[in-house]
Amino acid sequence: MQTGFYFDQTRCTGCFTCVVACKDWHDVPAGPASWMRVTTIEKGKYPDVFVAFLATPCYHCLEPACVDVCPVNAITKRAKDGIVVVDREACLGRDKCQLCLEACPYDAPQFGAEENAKMQKCDLCLDRWAEHKKPICVDGCPMRALDAGSIKELRAKYGDSREAEGFVYSEKFTPSIVFKPKKDTKGLAVQRIEVAPGCRIVS
Amino acid sequence: MPSRKRSKADDKVRTVLTSCTCDCGGRCTLKVHVKGGMIVRVENADAASEVLHLRGCARGFAYRQRVYGSDRLKYPMRRVGARGEGKFERISWDEALDTVAGELKRVKATYGPAAIFYITVGAGSNSMLHGPAATERLLNLFGGCTKNWAVISCEGPIFAAQATYGGFITANTPDDYINSRLIILWGWNPVEALRSNAPFLKRAKDAGARIVCVDPRYHLSAAFLANQWIPIRPSTDAAMLIAMAYVIIKEGLQDQAFIDAYTVGFDRYKDYVLGKEDGIAKTPAWAEAITGVPAATIADLARDYARMKPAALVAGWGPGRTAYGEQYHRASAVLAAITGNVGIHGGYPGIVASLGYTPAQPLLPIPGTSYPCVFPLGDNPAEHPAPLTPFNSWFYSTSGIHICKLADAILRGKAGGYHTDLKMAYITNANPVNQYTDSNKMARALRELEFVVVHELFMTPTAKFADILLPVNTALERNDISTSWLLTPPLYTYVNKAIDPIYESKTDIEICEELADRLGITNYNDKTEDEWLREAAKSVEAIKDYDDLKRKGVLEVELSEYVPFKEQIEDPKNNPFPTTSGKIEIYSQTLADLNNPQLPPIPKYFEGWEKPLIEKYPLRLMSAHAHTHVKSQFHNIPWLRELEPQRLWINPIDARARGISDGGLAKVFNDQGQMLIPARVTERIMPGVTFLPDGAWFAPDENGVDRGGCANVFTTDKPSPGGAFACNSSLVQVEKA
Repeated sequence: MQTGFYFDQTRCTGCFTCVVACKDWHDVPAGPASWMRVTTIEKGKYPDVFVAFLATPCYHCLEPACVDVCPVNAITKRAKDGIVVVDREACLGRDKCQLCLEACPYDAPQFGAEENAKMQKCDLCLDRWAEHKKPICVDGCPMRALDAGSIKELRAKYGDSREAEGFVYSEKFTPSIVFKPKKDTKGLAVQRIEVAPGCRIVS
Repeated sequence: MPSRKRSKADDKVRTVLTSCTCDCGGRCTLKVHVKGGMIVRVENADAASEVLHLRGCARGFAYRQRVYGSDRLKYPMRRVGARGEGKFERISWDEALDTVAGELKRVKATYGPAAIFYITVGAGSNSMLHGPAATERLLNLFGGCTKNWAVISCEGPIFAAQATYGGFITANTPDDYINSRLIILWGWNPVEALRSNAPFLKRAKDAGARIVCVDPRYHLSAAFLANQWIPIRPSTDAAMLIAMAYVIIKEGLQDQAFIDAYTVGFDRYKDYVLGKEDGIAKTPAWAEAITGVPAATIADLARDYARMKPAALVAGWGPGRTAYGEQYHRASAVLAAITGNVGIHGGYPGIVASLGYTPAQPLLPIPGTSYPCVFPLGDNPAEHPAPLTPFNSWFYSTSGIHICKLADAILRGKAGGYHTDLKMAYITNANPVNQYTDSNKMARALRELEFVVVHELFMTPTAKFADILLPVNTALERNDISTSWLLTPPLYTYVNKAIDPIYESKTDIEICEELADRLGITNYNDKTEDEWLREAAKSVEAIKDYDDLKRKGVLEVELSEYVPFKEQIEDPKNNPFPTTSGKIEIYSQTLADLNNPQLPPIPKYFEGWEKPLIEKYPLRLMSAHAHTHVKSQFHNIPWLRELEPQRLWINPIDARARGISDGGLAKVFNDQGQMLIPARVTERIMPGVTFLPDGAWFAPDENGVDRGGCANVFTTDKPSPGGAFACNSSLVQVEKA
């Protein structure tokens, strides 16, 4: 089985609850590491503008780039559910390696502020699955824009759109994600992209 | 007494059902995980629930950092540096309370009780027991104090709602949006300011409603919901509404039968709108020059609003926090009335419910607290009636100093025409340096006082001015009952205590109880927390079983598409409007009798008094609530702060002209103050307008330049004639720093 996410971009208000709920559940301090990020995409020129949000966890790719590039096999894809996990003890650390971050098109591998921080990332809330709960981002979303589960079931329920504003599907890595995209019907030009937390201005 | 002892330290995780009590009105439920007496995690209370509006937001999930923040005040402190410097030393509770009691006695004996200024709002804790009432009761029993009047958020809508409709419950409940064909969110951003409305608006949109946002910003509600965004210059909204009335009247689109049956004064308004009264026809072209909204856009929206019935004109509070802001609210109410959109499903009376609750929640806020409260205040022997018009917030504080004038009253006292000289400030559940007008003036004023005592959780910009600083605790360290407010889905929560109070913190009531002993007051408090809460529950009809509420943590009052003034419309003979005429007052004789040209009997547009300054300060500055904090609460929480650091929104046209880049530092200034702040250069704001999210903490550097991004550095303390805080009429200049 492959586990994955569903994201309804038309229901996302950019409230960041998923980001904070994740940090609280997994005890990730404020700082550079965030297992979930929310990107704000601003398009168009005043007054003809369009805004969409993209929630980005780890997409637990079918062919994860991070697993292939890790020189010490610290990252593995579980056979049982396809969830990609990291063995932080084995990880060489940010100062020595970072190959996983360079390889991942979605910035899923995250590093804290500490010296030679070990890689950490979304594990789809393995501990919550064990209690038959969905990930905290899914259960936390006030607008119910997120879901998680067997990708097969998610596709059956929500369709198989691989498109969303601000997202590029990687045929090579095959991310386990289904979208309901928010469409910019006018084809406006991207003006500004910002990623939270940290207000990293991308363009 | 605060307790340092842990309830049986075990390693098992137990969960506690509770809720936020912060000042956003949502009252979302939380399930707090506690291990060994410590909060370890937060979850939604019931993730499986289909109820859309009960899920907490980022602020609720960040509550653990609020409780255990490194900046949490741990013990009573005495100031050792200058006021505002933030230098303190630890003292014992006994010493702190002896000092406060001694100062209260000294100031009262020397100057009389009116020299004691109790500065508070209901915002500290929106709950029925703990909060500002504790200190107000203490001071009343001690001999009284000076208070503030006017609701800083919404005195404009309160004024206009009462003038037009005779009451201030003027919102169809959110579940009624589903019945609207057109929804105009005018100066209202519920996705950030009243989040629990968002699912209902989304449902209405999915059902086919057209949603139009009129706002200087393409805010999150516009991003989420808008079919159309109409940017408008701040402080000019009344002109556009009046021009919409022009189009409707000129084209005969008004609901004449409704007007004839339910309103008075339409013809007087018509004379003004068409220009018979003053020779100026209030055409869309007239409004375009004022508002910056194209005439055709104004005319189209007017036609849509008149024709697409039922239509909800949900006109929020921000545009009313301006010079003559009450005219905007009057104009929107009148527009709803002349199109017959009042008292019907899918309509809306044109004013977002001012203060008050649907009949499902009959509790009114009590004087001085703005929140339904069970803790008795007693009478204030030093009461000084405020110069209220008949339409001001009579149900709020009716005495003392206007909330915009606190600093001015402290600085000028009797010599400045105020009823008293003020010598001491007692501040609880409030952050006046940050959240009231003109931060620098407030800071100056607090430096002038003989004594300042503050109850706080954190070293806020106001706490830095305390002589004695007393640590209080969070909602998760005590029991309470809370209710959602105005125009959010009605519900009650039991705010279950999750952990014992940490450090040496106490509740406001515990602090005041110990002060009462020292002041010789013997009848301060005769009940335990549990007894008070049982009494609170008894006062609410919807709460049938206290223990059941405590166990479940939440009681939802069924939503029933409540429509205000429905009875007046369906059966007018037996249900007159609660106005003097018994009808919707487009023309108010009561206002006419005031003989104040600035408060005319019909809605009118007045140019804001800030206008002459526009040569010097060419950019308008507005502020509004942000979703990463609640007013100034939660602004210090690291998890929230990193999401959207405080920045000045500015359009690329204005930024380019000043050489300011996205993320680059900007210098912002006007006559009130100066600020250095990064810019957020975005197409989502109207050229000529800048924006600062409200609530960022005032942090002046050694030159007095604010580095924190507090919007009130630039606001003035002149209230609108109807009583509104005119913060959105601010003007600034911006330069590259």
